[in-house]
Amino acid sequence: MILNEKKHGDIDVVELTGRFAMANFSDVRDRLKSIIEEGEGKLVIDMEKVTFIDSSACAVLISAYKGMQLREGRLVIVTSSIVQSLIELTRLHTIFDISPSQAAALLTFDES
Amino acid sequence: MVLSNTQTVNPVTLKITSSVDCVSPLGEAIQVLCLYETGSESFANDVQRAVVEALNNVILHAYHNHEGHDIVVQWKREDNRIRIDITDYGLSMSALPPPKLPNFEAESGRGWWIINACCDDYYYKVEEFIKRDRMYKENGQNEYSEQIVVNSHSNVLTLIKYF
Repeated sequence: MILNEKKHGDIDVVELTGRFAMANFSDVRDRLKSIIEEGEGKLVIDMEKVTFIDSSACAVLISAYKGMQLREGRLVIVTSSIVQSLIELTRLHTIFDISPSQAAALLTFDES
Repeated sequence: MVLSNTQTVNPVTLKITSSVDCVSPLGEAIQVLCLYETGSESFANDVQRAVVEALNNVILHAYHNHEGHDIVVQWKREDNRIRIDITDYGLSMSALPPPKLPNFEAESGRGWWIINACCDDYYYKVEEFIKRDRMYKENGQNEYSEQIVVNSHSNVLTLIKYF
């Protein structure tokens, strides 16, 4: 799993690549926690290049979502088809703000 | 291109240690075997999901995240279905957890939901290997005393999916 961080203005963008599963969930969770605490309340988690996701990765996404809510911030996630299908299977798509691409995700912050 | 399988690779047995780092390679191996046998990516992805969740459960709950214990996974094609037996030698479950989705806020408890959704059937078996001593004493009543000791055990989760 590769985690790449960047900034678009005041928006934090975290790009994940590879398998997002129990073997790396604590590293990703800790990194996201720091980004949320230090950020401006705007976060995109881009999983377009994630090739597999399990329930422990879902836990990390929920943790990030709750962290953003506590800060009255907003989290937008970008999914690959395999990520999207698990998010739908676990019905998290009814809660998460999901965009089809990173560019579209960034645009949603302009609209809000 | 779809290749017809003239030779089946049946069954395949894989063994890993109880480390989370071993789960992904095994999950990918199972995905590839299913894809080879069925040609269906969605089928292979579903099976991989179920197997990964089952292995995570074994490592977390049967082995309490302690590394160095064996997990044996047997993949097998049986007619129009794939059967996977996941065997561990750790703490047994007393019952299969219900496949319920937890509240959204909960950060765990989705594994069995995923297994249930990605398989057509699954069951769990605890096999105990016992030593039974039966002692007879001549007292005219044909009575005996018995001592049973469980020497070892294994837990087998079987996952089945039809194609």
